[in-house]
Amino acid sequence: MGRPIHVIVAVKQVPDTSNVRINPETGTLIREGVPAILNPYEAHALELAVQLKNTFGGRITVLTMGPAGATEALRECIEQGADRAILVSDRKFAAADTLATSYVIATAIEAIQRETPADLLLFGKQAIDGDTAQVGPGVATRLNLPLITCACAIESFDLDNRLAIVHRRVERGIEVLQTPLPALFTVEKEIAPISRAPLPNIIHAARYTPEIWSATAPVAFDMAQIGIKGSPTIVGNAHTPPLKKAGPAITAAEMGVERAIAEALTAIDKAGVLTGSKA
Amino acid sequence: MTSRIWTYIEQEDGRAHPVSWELLGAALKLSRDLPDSVVECVLLGEHVEPIIDQAFSFGASRVYAIDDAVLRHYRNLPYSAGISNLIQQHQPEIFLVGATTLGRDLASSIATRVSTGLTADCTELAIDPKKILAATRPTFGGNLMATILCKTRRPQMATVRPRVLPTPQPLTEWKRGEVIRAPLGMREDDVAVKLLRFVAGEAEEEIEYADVVVAGGRGVGGAKGFALLRELADALGGVVGASRPAVDAGWITYAHQVGQTGKTIRPKLYIAAGISGAIQHRVGVAGSDFILAINSDPNAPIFHIADFGIVGDLNTVVPELTKQIRAAKAAQKHD
Amino acid sequence: MTEKLSFDAIVVGAGPAGVSAAITMASKGLHVAVIERGRFAGSKNLFGGVLYTSAIGDVLPDFAKRNPPFERPVTEQGYWLMSPDSVVRLMHKSQAYKVEPAEAYTALRAKFDAWYAEQAASFGALLIPKTNVIDLIRDAQGRVIGVQTDRPQGDVYAPVVILSEGVNNLLTQKAGLSKVDLPPNLVALSVKEVIALPQAAIEQRFGLAGAKEGVAIDIFGDATLGLPGTAFLYANKTSVSIGVGMLLAEFVQHKLRPHEVLARFKNHPVIKPYLQGGEQLEYGAHLIPEFGYDRMPKLLADGVMVAGDAAGMVDALHREGTNLAMTAGKFAGLTAVEAHKAQDFSARFLRMYRRKLNQSFVMKDLKQYRRMGDFLGESPHFMKTYVDFANDAALRYFSAHGMAKRDMEKEIVNSLWQRRSFFGVARDMMKLLRGMGA
Repeated sequence: MGRPIHVIVAVKQVPDTSNVRINPETGTLIREGVPAILNPYEAHALELAVQLKNTFGGRITVLTMGPAGATEALRECIEQGADRAILVSDRKFAAADTLATSYVIATAIEAIQRETPADLLLFGKQAIDGDTAQVGPGVATRLNLPLITCACAIESFDLDNRLAIVHRRVERGIEVLQTPLPALFTVEKEIAPISRAPLPNIIHAARYTPEIWSATAPVAFDMAQIGIKGSPTIVGNAHTPPLKKAGPAITAAEMGVERAIAEALTAIDKAGVLTGSKA
Repeated sequence: MTSRIWTYIEQEDGRAHPVSWELLGAALKLSRDLPDSVVECVLLGEHVEPIIDQAFSFGASRVYAIDDAVLRHYRNLPYSAGISNLIQQHQPEIFLVGATTLGRDLASSIATRVSTGLTADCTELAIDPKKILAATRPTFGGNLMATILCKTRRPQMATVRPRVLPTPQPLTEWKRGEVIRAPLGMREDDVAVKLLRFVAGEAEEEIEYADVVVAGGRGVGGAKGFALLRELADALGGVVGASRPAVDAGWITYAHQVGQTGKTIRPKLYIAAGISGAIQHRVGVAGSDFILAINSDPNAPIFHIADFGIVGDLNTVVPELTKQIRAAKAAQKHD
Repeated sequence: MTEKLSFDAIVVGAGPAGVSAAITMASKGLHVAVIERGRFAGSKNLFGGVLYTSAIGDVLPDFAKRNPPFERPVTEQGYWLMSPDSVVRLMHKSQAYKVEPAEAYTALRAKFDAWYAEQAASFGALLIPKTNVIDLIRDAQGRVIGVQTDRPQGDVYAPVVILSEGVNNLLTQKAGLSKVDLPPNLVALSVKEVIALPQAAIEQRFGLAGAKEGVAIDIFGDATLGLPGTAFLYANKTSVSIGVGMLLAEFVQHKLRPHEVLARFKNHPVIKPYLQGGEQLEYGAHLIPEFGYDRMPKLLADGVMVAGDAAGMVDALHREGTNLAMTAGKFAGLTAVEAHKAQDFSARFLRMYRRKLNQSFVMKDLKQYRRMGDFLGESPHFMKTYVDFANDAALRYFSAHGMAKRDMEKEIVNSLWQRRSFFGVARDMMKLLRGMGA
């Protein structure tokens, strides 16, 4: 076997947005009781890392920026096969937008790499809470690394010659790209299926305590580039999206399917939306 | 001083993506609220000359073009570096990019290079009283709309998804404005990532730009159920869409997914069968002209946004709908 | 990674029984693994919402110092007898309830169980989440020596296994201790909602003087459409817990949907004002084993003991289960500690567990009320007849102006005979007394 691999996976703990609800009376978001989960795309990114580790031997480092509770997401990463987990957490990082976040993650990755250089950096395609898809590209740009977003399959991974061939999903099909390593990929869920973690991993994770890095130690972050100061965007206001006014709903069982549909078609006809396609 | 509002013209193989003109239309609107502003386009690629004229026909007053063999296919490095150089040189006030796979990749890198704020996937753009770009986007899986401002750095960047904005018509009379040609300043050897080949997807239906979309959700029950929807779509000359649960269940591919995490559509007719209508789904279809919802649960939230609702089992309703539409079409032919 | 995973004891299920066993064993120095199928302890658990501190204190004497996430002390409790349009309230409120720590608290299980499991971890017990135990591992003599989980490399070994797996007691069955596969007449189904309300609104509606007062109400009669079963309404800090429980067989026989029964109850004119303007926080359904004393599983075999719902340790009459489970868990834990000292994990030695239970309130209560389930099953009219009678009597009593009191009393008695014959009433009372263990 050749030399072992080192993969760094950047993850985010997110609220499970499929569980988010809105109070219909006040129009505000109900955050209570919404479980926090590991961003699903990153769960798949980690699986790719585990596959590579199984192939080449080596280590996986996971990294996140977030509140103290984000150690839960990191513990889940340890369960799935990560070796080391780092939480970058400090009040001074609060209210970071994607620019400030990519600064913190990039700087932390540089620090990790001073100990062990990485062969690959992995991010999820996007976080399901913000859906911005900006931090991965931002980090690649800051670290001056080749970037492949929306990676959906690895065709080949040649660690010795530092070359990978990756499939990238775009609207019209699949781009097959060759990139030198190290590189940064953001991944789709198809990149690797989630496997059930072995029991010894679960036990190891239960006893594992993630490292916590502050804004000043072991890395001294530039205060001008973190938190509110380092974030050019601010949230002006937030509101729940208005609902369009509903039309009538009829019950097929009461009216009979045939008549119900005839009524529906009449309504569609009246709206005139199909006039173009009828011709 | 003139405020420049820039839009990016996304092109592949010499064809401009329609979202480019949607952005240009939106920029022209913003320009009315921003005193002393001009709307200009940025275009990169190889042999892109014909697209320059198109940009003027949609109302651009100036086009910045970098035409280079290195730019034959989109790659992050040369595109983001080329545009960042233009930005540093010409200092635009606002820069809008399509929130396509390409545009999101590109805009994120540019914003980092020029160290500015970027608001992704906006659904609404406006100029606020202080002459700042107010970019509104859905967050928390579409449960909340947030308006984002970037007060201190320039350009103010935003990406907007295709079909979120109306498609403008080209002007019948237009004049060719100024074209600023810039060198890329990069050779092929400087770009480490190589495109080896492109595998075109299954001749995918253009779900975003279809006039009729027939979509199914969890209630469809399986890949088999989608055959019923396919028949209905065929009868209407439309395409098949799906909600996230149906895609997650593997009944249909992601390319068909409609909603916050899929595509935004604004067809003339949208038929939602067995889709409960979670808010994440609703934000992706709210722009439809007419929504017909079919669901067995009378309390399904999809009925809140439907123009017409049928409470019933889609397995009987959909085939009957197909039958009646076919009958109506046959009758029309005989007329 | 091929190293054999072994512990001094394995606990299956991080509910009150399992965690009590784990705390007991870990605090005595045993190396304990608690295997839980949910994401965290309590994530799959549900109960009405009252906890008794005597049982907690029994397991964890200094629990009050460990900031338990209780909602409110129960300073008022009692019964409501509801007819379709009215209610008779038998409530008891007393300053005597105002002691620290109080005897009972309202609580939310997701929060409490997570906290309780943390206490076990603080003694060194290892909580293994998101893992299902699918079978027992036995040695050549058939003694239980470990469990098999659904994860790769998932076998775990220990000389003693405590099954506190809850109502779906598959492993208890696999251990050969229980043949009962949950017949619907021995399992109750409880549905519950937690409804958020402002603290001030709760205190005003329930007449509570601040967060140091709380109320627990058990409700009979129309809440369950007059069918055997109970409903409850408990005040938490900033929410109320409301629910309905009936035997599964009743839901089936009367073609009732649990959530509809609850919705109907919530709309009762007496209940509705308490919930006005509230926001539903959680909704859940849970099975409650009401096997009764006579149908309890065997509690032990070589290398294995059963505690909590898995063993049917529920006193339905007094809405008690959690405290029985905790005490049983503690006894199982103590027995495991003794077994380690003696290095004897045979059924013969583990019988110590059964003896401890027999001497405690757990078995005494379960034995005393052994026929309660039978009684309610055999006398389905009990709820409706007597609850409606109580409401009717109250109405006559309070609106009997201008009528001789003697005539009024006669009318009230007559209204009972109209509902049920004299001998019927006599029979009901006899059975009730038998059910109470008299």
